Amino acid sequence: MGLLQYIGQRLLTYVAVLFIGISITFFLPRLMPNDPIDGYIAQIQSRAGQTLTPEAAAEIRATLTELYGLEGSLFTQYLNYLRRVVFGFDFGPSFSAFPRPVSELIMLALPWTLGLLLTTTVISWLLGNLIGLLAGYYHNRRFATALEVLGVLIYPIPYYILALTLILLLAYTWKLFPLSTTIRPAPLSLAQIGSILYNSALPALTLVIAGFGWNILSMKSLSVATKEEPFVTFARLKGTSDRTRMFSYVFRNALLPQVTALALSLGTIFNGALLTEMLFSYPGLGLLMRTAVGNGDYNMLYGTITMTIFAVATAALVIDLIYPLFDPRIRYR
Amino acid sequence: MTKAFRLPRVLFLLLTMLSIVACSVPPTTPQGQTPTEAPAQSGATEPTAAPAAADPAAAPAASGDGALTDVGTPRSETLIFQTFDRQTANPDLHNPLMGTYAVWRGFRELAWGYLWEMDTGTGQSYPELAADMPEVLNDEYTRFRVKLRPGIYWSDGVEFTADDVIFTLDTYFENKDKLTYWGVATITNYVKSYEKIDDYTFEVETVNPAYDFVTVLGVYTWGSALNIVPKHIFEKEADVAAFRNTNPVTLGPYVVKEFDPNGFWQLWERREDWERSAWGSQGEPKPKYVLYKDFGPEETRTLAFVENQYDVDTFMSPESIKAAVAQNSAISPYSPTMPYHDMNDACSYGVLMNQHRPPLDKAEVRWALALALDLQDVGINALSGEFKASPLPMVDTQILNPIYFAPLQGWLNDFALSDGYKPFNPNFGAELVGKLTEMGLPADQMPQGDEAIKNAFGVGWWKYDPAEAEKLLGSVGITKNADGIYTLPDGSVWELEFVIPGDWNKVMQRVGFSIADSWRKAGIQVNARQVDNAEFGTVQNTNSQLTTLLNWTNCIFSPNYLNAWRSIQPEFLLPVDSPDTITGNMYRWSNEKVFDLVKASYSMETTSPEFYEYGREIIKEFVTDMAYINLMNIPTTIPTNSTYWRNFPKADNPYAVPYSWWSSAKKILQNIEPTGAK
Repeated sequence: MGLLQYIGQRLLTYVAVLFIGISITFFLPRLMPNDPIDGYIAQIQSRAGQTLTPEAAAEIRATLTELYGLEGSLFTQYLNYLRRVVFGFDFGPSFSAFPRPVSELIMLALPWTLGLLLTTTVISWLLGNLIGLLAGYYHNRRFATALEVLGVLIYPIPYYILALTLILLLAYTWKLFPLSTTIRPAPLSLAQIGSILYNSALPALTLVIAGFGWNILSMKSLSVATKEEPFVTFARLKGTSDRTRMFSYVFRNALLPQVTALALSLGTIFNGALLTEMLFSYPGLGLLMRTAVGNGDYNMLYGTITMTIFAVATAALVIDLIYPLFDPRIRYR
Repeated sequence: MTKAFRLPRVLFLLLTMLSIVACSVPPTTPQGQTPTEAPAQSGATEPTAAPAAADPAAAPAASGDGALTDVGTPRSETLIFQTFDRQTANPDLHNPLMGTYAVWRGFRELAWGYLWEMDTGTGQSYPELAADMPEVLNDEYTRFRVKLRPGIYWSDGVEFTADDVIFTLDTYFENKDKLTYWGVATITNYVKSYEKIDDYTFEVETVNPAYDFVTVLGVYTWGSALNIVPKHIFEKEADVAAFRNTNPVTLGPYVVKEFDPNGFWQLWERREDWERSAWGSQGEPKPKYVLYKDFGPEETRTLAFVENQYDVDTFMSPESIKAAVAQNSAISPYSPTMPYHDMNDACSYGVLMNQHRPPLDKAEVRWALALALDLQDVGINALSGEFKASPLPMVDTQILNPIYFAPLQGWLNDFALSDGYKPFNPNFGAELVGKLTEMGLPADQMPQGDEAIKNAFGVGWWKYDPAEAEKLLGSVGITKNADGIYTLPDGSVWELEFVIPGDWNKVMQRVGFSIADSWRKAGIQVNARQVDNAEFGTVQNTNSQLTTLLNWTNCIFSPNYLNAWRSIQPEFLLPVDSPDTITGNMYRWSNEKVFDLVKASYSMETTSPEFYEYGREIIKEFVTDMAYINLMNIPTTIPTNSTYWRNFPKADNPYAVPYSWWSSAKKILQNIEPTGAK
């Protein structure tokens, strides 16, 4: 198979995945048993009692139907949606934050999510794999067992419990970090970066600790298995150092599935980290999606889910395209 | 090093660099809105220099003058409320003509002014922007003259006049197809015409007789349909619906100082000329700053409360309050005795039943559901017994009790179902006290004496009598099968869907599960279904989706019951399987006598004895038909922390109801005092 054919096939698959994903994204929220306008009117009724007459309610319904872009048949709305998304990446106004455009809200939340999750995903991947490598390569040593026990202990702890424990210890008892996030809007400066880092440190720490347990365990088992491979034995007989064998022979070969996992993790960070955001009052895409589901905010759901589909599909495409660079076996096929 | 080995290293390097870059991504702010600190305003309201450090990003810390808040204001000058909606979706939208504006960030209390405000403690309306109550100009009660109080100024120094009111009404009518604030539709259907008489006088003609004129153009507890906007600001906007009003000019004594573009907090600063504001003449609001801030879910909120990071909480669970009180003696609930909290909220929890849907169309079945519900057990399991029961379709409050509950006490005692059974239990409160005492609650924290028990736990509720429920169900052909489960006349199991809120309302969620448990014990096959916020509203309002549902309804704060029952009219009803949504009459109740009583009430002075008598007759019909299973007043838990501020309203100092919203917030701000703690 030629290189161009390989790339072409992957690109076609990518486009097909995007189209199907975006289409499903349009219809899926419509299957939810709620209606954003009914939800809004119910809120008004609970707030304003019956001062809302049927005539007034009908007027509000008609106004919102028009303003929210919910007029016309489902198919007409679908075509409009495709046109807006494909040609303008425009998801329309958010219903829960009307009339603010969805894209504006996403762009407000995205840097927080990227900043927090990209950093923590990469750090937990690096730390976890490094510890897992040590635990696997030196699996007969006592410290290696201790590292493995660390991974086994952390991995199954529910995130919420782990995070609360860290809050109790590091924010309440020792007061190293704030209990809740407060980042005041200001132009970018060293002080502002310091404020962001100070407020983000504890949420990030909880995510790193919660995330690296799996990496420890998986890398440990991969490296134990790889260490027993004949080519590692051959290298040892050849007189290579422990360090060389660990990094150049075991780590490099055990790394391949971990890289795939990392790439897919990077794709899913666009889902946000809902629990972290809720616990720390930390802004991000997770809360946006939660609000959208709670309020039947179709447009917001379209925006956030489409972005995730785009990110995961792109991550998978990139992996497909660069995998031959990592694994010669694929290149030679 | 081989070429192949370089690749992972390069990759590592790239990823590490990427993470560093991501870590330093600056937070974006909404377009044209960097930073969110309000600009200095002209005139008399030029804000004083913020006490925060020059760079707002500088981490707050204790200074020589005392602690600073997270947003850089002196803690001793800042009153801090926990936000009860946590995060607002539209933090920079401060245009009160749009329904999605950030209303729960203090705008109703601190920023706007209303023609007439309502005292949340008494239910009485009083003039705020108006000089007096409106003058009625005709016998039909459709024409009114309103005089404004001179000497009120917007925060930018421009005087408030009738021009602002007329401009607002013009804006409502001219933009009613674009403005999404609910009051726009209400006013444009309510007001026929209006005109300015002079700078401080205007007249309004309504479409129908308007005995509720003061509570529609003014406040009915939670807000007003008429949000008056500054003419000199809004008239410059070509499209008022698109105007975000991010740095609003206010009528109230505070202005927006700063807010979180992500919606977790908002800081207000007192105007220098607060005396010229909408309610400045009533007294000085003491805190220089008011901060609304989210401190996270209940677990972290409780920690922050114990740490004195904020002063007033809302809807904290009884368990968390107990934990906080145990850790910090400055924290206290509303009362030292049960049920510990103020029970004068406007709304009540109750079970809606779709009366169009068999077998719920039969009063016997609805009554059976009420008698199979062990409310004492529900209240103990879900609320630690901290609740006030109400058998009537409204809240049992200090305002409504003398008018509706006390006069009907005798009738309730004697009321009998068609089989002669008397369902009312006047000893409900005393029995609850007994159970709670048995459970180990200290006797000195229990109300003593009949009157105190009634004040605490209500006038009584329906008996828990599954045997009578079985008898009533049997009378309509619903009988138990061999497994003790109720079956319908056709032999199939009676499966009752019961919709309750998901985790967006944890108190109701707990109450809902306890009710379902109670019904299951009685043999009713209940499917308790938790739903999200938006679906909840859809189920409630759509006949084809509703069977039974737990909600807060019947929000009747002042004795004017029409605010909740106005829609009990035949034209509001829809067919049983209608997918269209109803407006009002969420009970789906069809009762000719009540239709007549409600219609007649439209044409009565809402504070007249006759109006109240009609209300009591409607209540009797509610009970006779068991049109709605009213459960309890919403238990509103508002613990306070008196480390930095004292004299919050409490049971032994009830100068206002303790709510940090509505008009009571205004009284609280005027009456609290700094403790001097730095």
